[in-house]
Amino acid sequence: MAMLELHDVHTFYGNIHALKGLSLTVDAGEIVTLIGANGAGKSTTLRTISGLQRPRMGKVIFEGADISRVPASEIVRKGIVQVPEGRRIFATLTVRENLEMGAYTRDDKDEIAATMAHVFELFPRLKERIKQTGGTLSGGEQQMLAVGRALMARPRLLLMDEPSMGLAPILVEEIFSIIQEISREGVTILLVEQNAHVALSLAHRGYVLGTGKITLQGSVEALANNPQVRAAYLGGV
Amino acid sequence: MKHSNLRNGWVGGIVNIFLILLGLTGLAGTLLQGWLGLPSPAFGVWVSLLGVVVWSAARATKASGTQSWREALAGGALSGLLSGGIVGLLVGLLATLDAGSVEIRQWLVQLTPEAIALLTFGVAPWLATLLVAGVHALAGLLGSALYFAAITYQWQASVKGVLQDAGHSISQTQVYQRIAGHPSATTFAYAAGAILLLTAPLYLGRYWNYTLGTVGLYVILGLGLNIVVGMAGQLVLGYGAFFAIGAYTVALLTAPTPHGIMMNFWLVVPIGVILAALSGVVLGLPVLRMRGDYLAIVTLGFGEIIRILLKSDALIEFTGGPRGVRAVGGPSLFGIKMNNEFYFTYFIIIGIILAAYITAQLQKSRVGRAWMAIRGDEDVAEAMGIMTLKYKLLAFAIAAGLAGLSGVLFASRNKFTGPEDFTLLVSINVLSLVIIGGMGSIPGVIMGALILKGLPEILRELSDYRMLAFGALLVLMMILRPEGMWPSTRQKMELHGDEEKAETSEHTEPARGVA
Repeated sequence: MAMLELHDVHTFYGNIHALKGLSLTVDAGEIVTLIGANGAGKSTTLRTISGLQRPRMGKVIFEGADISRVPASEIVRKGIVQVPEGRRIFATLTVRENLEMGAYTRDDKDEIAATMAHVFELFPRLKERIKQTGGTLSGGEQQMLAVGRALMARPRLLLMDEPSMGLAPILVEEIFSIIQEISREGVTILLVEQNAHVALSLAHRGYVLGTGKITLQGSVEALANNPQVRAAYLGGV
Repeated sequence: MKHSNLRNGWVGGIVNIFLILLGLTGLAGTLLQGWLGLPSPAFGVWVSLLGVVVWSAARATKASGTQSWREALAGGALSGLLSGGIVGLLVGLLATLDAGSVEIRQWLVQLTPEAIALLTFGVAPWLATLLVAGVHALAGLLGSALYFAAITYQWQASVKGVLQDAGHSISQTQVYQRIAGHPSATTFAYAAGAILLLTAPLYLGRYWNYTLGTVGLYVILGLGLNIVVGMAGQLVLGYGAFFAIGAYTVALLTAPTPHGIMMNFWLVVPIGVILAALSGVVLGLPVLRMRGDYLAIVTLGFGEIIRILLKSDALIEFTGGPRGVRAVGGPSLFGIKMNNEFYFTYFIIIGIILAAYITAQLQKSRVGRAWMAIRGDEDVAEAMGIMTLKYKLLAFAIAAGLAGLSGVLFASRNKFTGPEDFTLLVSINVLSLVIIGGMGSIPGVIMGALILKGLPEILRELSDYRMLAFGALLVLMMILRPEGMWPSTRQKMELHGDEEKAETSEHTEPARGVA
């Protein structure tokens, strides 16, 4: 059984029909990527899963239970955590405080400390900057902090929204190698990316999102060889 | 002959004209006359006018960066002469008009013939122009000389040195070391402070008890609003409404009219606080789903609705209408009536301590962290498992409850309350004092209240210009210290983070965070 299933999900912003019957599945342990153009509804999909946006129709099923009407704060407790687009770390809080904020739903002090130690293993740079405020970090470090903050909630499903955005290629590589490591540790990952190249090289399966609907799906190899995908997202190479 | 001298001369002259036309120099004159017991206000007038010139000449010298005495003095004299020329022409013009029996007061209320005579030294207009220009030039000379001497002989450093030496020698004395080294020295200092605070109402007299009580009521209001605005980051404008709810609760439940319930004051205090907090929740439930500007405007509307309801004839039977409620009951304990300013100062101090304690405890707690996250980024807070609506409601309810407490004390102390006690200005004042003091900081709120509600009382004579001075102060504050007088460390980091960033960030890509 799939860990996460979206069945014919329709999400609206006011009168704007953003998701028009979207369906997808993510199995436990997978890295699944969702690629698509600007405005296709990639972020909306993640927001719908994490409860920040309610679907008007359709079902979001996580580990067998319908969570489409569950409030966002409760969904975090169920194990779905989002790394928001554009990092959105707390600029005025220190690195440590940002991480502590990520563990808001937990109250086991020792285990929180253990998770933080683990985050610092993954991102040694964050440990060096532990007392600095988030706003003083570089873009790459902020992205690391955003991922670290999400890990602090001990997710079983991590939703990542454009982690490569605005980063230098070398940093993108670094972030993606860490995403793979997180995946190896058993966290399931749903990755939204505009940078289809990197996303398809890293994930197991992929979906291509048109305007509010899945237009293509399959293994990353199949997608990378698909002429439509090559033309639209891989620069026609 | 540097450009900076000319510019500062101009600015000095224009500031002078502004001061004269608004009559602020006359005001400074009467103030100084009163404080120093001088025979005439002339001293104050000229001190304030020439002070500007001295200051601007000193600034000009600093900006010109000159190294020679001759250049510095010539520059100072030039800038003084320029401002003197401008002001002199104005003074000459005023004197001529006045001599021609034109009623200048028709347009400029402050310029009475007496005020003009002070500026002209009582001589003929043309001579007055020359005299003013000359005096200004001298003042400019003085300003540049003072500044130049200060940097040449390093006065600043020597003043600092003298102070440090003095401090050092005091700290070396046996007496000081024995006192400060004693383990209970800090406890003693706190105890002394507490005793001073607790006995203050005894020797302050009615007027100052009343004034400081008002400041204290605003401190309670400020601490409450600080929770919503400073800690949870929600901009609320109609906060005065909860103050009104507290005040009217005590008024309607203890006064002989319009209801004649005449309940015991001590019972009414919790009722007022709870009613205000409840109304905060009732208003907050629909409203707190809005953000930013929308929230500000809706709460602003709520504040006005409450005031208009209290004032309306439709509810006159229930609220007493525009005339308000008289003979509001006060507290008594063991048969001692406590309804005067003196006792209320103590009640208000207790209220402040309570409010500050609640605020400090919340700030440290899980709730405080949730507020911090909401303030930083509501979406992200929600995505991290924080029930944002619940915590915003909680902030709203606590803030409203504290406003209710302040309102209860306010109406009971004044023995009267009416709709005009709760104009929009109350809400604006509270918001301003939170911002001036420094958002999110408890001592900042106290300081803000002292400045905003206390200073106008001390400068009673300024009353006509209170709003002018107030506005100028706010603008100056926002330019010079955007983080407030006594900011929380976090707020300071937020507003001066750029400088820090320049030093610590080694990467060139733009750092995107949420302020």
